[in-house]
Amino acid sequence: MFLNTREGLALALPAAFFSLLLFLVPVGILLSEAFQSDTGWTLSGYTDFFAKPLNQVVFFRTLKLGVLVAGTAAVIGYAAAFCIVNLGPTARGRVFGLVVLPLMISPVARTYAWIVILGRTGIVNDAIVGLGLSETPIRLLFTETAVFLGLLQLFMPLMIISLVSAMENIPRDVIPAARVLGASWLQVFVRVILPLTKEGLVIGGTLVFTGALTAYITPAILGGSKVLMLETLLYQRVNVANDFVSASVIAMILMVMSFSANLLLKRIASARR
Amino acid sequence: MSEILVSLSGLTLSYGKTVAVPDLDLDIIDGELIALLGPSGCGKTTTMRAIAGLLAPTSGRITIDGRDVTRVPANKRGIGLVFQSYALFPHLSAFENVAFGLRLQRLAEAEIRSRTETGIATVGLAGFEKRKPAELSGGQQQRLALARSLVMKPKVLLLDEPLSNLDARLRLEMRTELQRVQNETGVTMVFVTHDQAEALALADRIVLMKEGRIEQLGTPNELYSKPATAFAAEFMGFENIFRVENDALVSDAGSLPLSYDAGAPLLAWRPGGVSVGSGPHSGRVLASSFAGGHREYVLDSALGQIKADAPIETPEVPLGESIAFDLPRSTARPLAA
Amino acid sequence: MRNLANWLILGLTLTFLIGPFLIIIFAGASAGQSLAFPPDGLSLKWYAKVFTVESFRASFMLSMFLAVFGTLTALILGIPAAYALNRYKLPGDETIRTIVAAPIIVPGIIVGLALLRYLVVPLDFTVTMALFMAHTALVLPYAVRVVSSSLHNLRADMEEAAVLLGCSRLQAFMKVVLPNIRGGVLAAFILGFVTSFNQVPVSLFLSGPGVRTLPIDMLAYMEITYDPSVAALSAMLAFMSLAIVFAAERLLGFSRYV
Repeated sequence: MFLNTREGLALALPAAFFSLLLFLVPVGILLSEAFQSDTGWTLSGYTDFFAKPLNQVVFFRTLKLGVLVAGTAAVIGYAAAFCIVNLGPTARGRVFGLVVLPLMISPVARTYAWIVILGRTGIVNDAIVGLGLSETPIRLLFTETAVFLGLLQLFMPLMIISLVSAMENIPRDVIPAARVLGASWLQVFVRVILPLTKEGLVIGGTLVFTGALTAYITPAILGGSKVLMLETLLYQRVNVANDFVSASVIAMILMVMSFSANLLLKRIASARR
Repeated sequence: MSEILVSLSGLTLSYGKTVAVPDLDLDIIDGELIALLGPSGCGKTTTMRAIAGLLAPTSGRITIDGRDVTRVPANKRGIGLVFQSYALFPHLSAFENVAFGLRLQRLAEAEIRSRTETGIATVGLAGFEKRKPAELSGGQQQRLALARSLVMKPKVLLLDEPLSNLDARLRLEMRTELQRVQNETGVTMVFVTHDQAEALALADRIVLMKEGRIEQLGTPNELYSKPATAFAAEFMGFENIFRVENDALVSDAGSLPLSYDAGAPLLAWRPGGVSVGSGPHSGRVLASSFAGGHREYVLDSALGQIKADAPIETPEVPLGESIAFDLPRSTARPLAA
Repeated sequence: MRNLANWLILGLTLTFLIGPFLIIIFAGASAGQSLAFPPDGLSLKWYAKVFTVESFRASFMLSMFLAVFGTLTALILGIPAAYALNRYKLPGDETIRTIVAAPIIVPGIIVGLALLRYLVVPLDFTVTMALFMAHTALVLPYAVRVVSSSLHNLRADMEEAAVLLGCSRLQAFMKVVLPNIRGGVLAAFILGFVTSFNQVPVSLFLSGPGVRTLPIDMLAYMEITYDPSVAALSAMLAFMSLAIVFAAERLLGFSRYV
């Protein structure tokens, strides 16, 4: 640890100023825009926004999809992470690599695949028509289910990674010890694994929930204008109506939701001692 | 012969607002091997870092060879330091680690080569020049770190807990190695340790430190047989220390009458100084363990726990039974309050 | 039995995660006119067509430029910052940490809009300039984090040893610190490159005439036609990312740093 403060600041401040001036200040101004009117400070931007039924629908849909995606990712994530941790070292590295791999691929490419799968002439519809379950292809694209699947596929790796690294930190032999002491597998999970991996769950949960809230590509491609989410609504308001007040309101909502999700998960985690 | 090489006067060292060492005076004699001994947090490492120039003193002066170096930066002081973690450069070979400082001096390639090779040979690592530090054992890394400092021909070589990361066998080997190197090079060595056995075995003089102050300074023999304070006594293995009040020994647990004149406010005994088997007092055996030449007892007495060694020839007393003991004046070390 | 269940769960999860990507590769290799899986015969004509689309070429170059130079700039700013935050006791270091990490937390679409409204329009920045700064700021948190973690693993006493052997502080950094965090720096570059290259929301509003990043261009192309060329392009981009990551993994065990 070096004690020369001035030297340290000279090294750290350029990055901080860069982020502050080119990033946080403009974002701050944008967020404040909804509170300003010709006469002074106002909350009318917010009340107007929530007065519109469409906006309410979009708000609750975004919240619902965020929670569903994070919840599903957690359930599948625990199963997958547990399996990964139980593998031998070589297999573990390979499988973990395969989980990380999708993160390196463009989200546009990853989302685009779902069009091939869920489209009118996609695999699922071919199967449905082929099996005679339906005369004509059914609409699978531009539904909440499509958006849900797309988001889940996009963000689940983040949950698995967080949970795997949390599980790797569980001391060896703790689980066998609990088993020897007479715990069932369910009890082992609730009383040993869950408390010891809650940090990972908080990180993974925040990443997935925030990611799902603020994803643009997936709702844009798989939901279109039929299944608007907050992010696509924001784009539409700006591009179609030049409505910067709504944009500012949505921006604030997105940020508040991300932060409160993180706080809430931390709360839950620390309450479960 | 006994010329002063390093002199610390009125040295005050602090981390932010925490004063680690207030007002320290110490002279280090040319060619000696001196140990800074004390428990963690006593300021020994802080003092060493200040000598090296890694920590600027709040006040006071450091002179080396009569030159005031208080404001001289670490890279211009000509002092060597062997870190506790060795701090070898992982990306460089053993050879390049040792040559690192010489290359900075822009010496001729031939000189760098010969001095580096000599340095590596001095610590017995010839043949390992191409290895990376990670490919060397702990003991070899230690010796490489030593060589890296020695080739710079430092006026003073500082060693931070030089033996603490080694296992028992290597420790002994390294002790001999350090003494040999010092004999051969005559370099002044200052080493920091928390292990009194290490300090007693290696050092010409020991500086016992407590809370940033010098508690006692002397030869190993002086510290071992004549500790001046309760702290020094405890550090040197006097495990039974009691107050003297009204012709009785007193502890927090109780008291025992004395049959002789104490002549000091505190008396201290090593476990070996307590005589077991006969005497005016009695204690119940709480624990007993075999220690080769003797048997170590922990006795529960009127003074609380007493640690006592009994000759191995005497029959073992079972746990829970009482045994007579004495705290004779002849083996007691009187201490100032 | 346990083993079988293990592999079954992993197999299903991996199919869900990676399956769609495999489908794209084949959908792009269709011999037919429309997007379908299984494809109507195999051909590479859509893969070839990608290279003839003028706008793809221009937007690919822009995305490359942003990814390479944005990430380099982020490293130039981020390495000293990571070093300072690791090695010095700074007043307000938590604040600095938060500010530097903030771009990860703020939704990208908001960033793009904010930069458009308050930098491009009033201050007369070009869109390319704004894109460059947005991508740099976006990559900065990754640069700081990845470099920090490799600095964290490098003991500070190594620099002190270098100084005692005669180095100046700058020399100690160049000769001892930098060679030992090389892997972390390269990992940060790759992570930043991939993040920047694949980034959509930030660039959404920051487009001008002829100035579009590749992913945005693909979205725009998809609005006009669903022909398999986007699938082919997606597959090629994915292969590019994977090739980079695999090379990095082979060279230095990239995944240690992520």
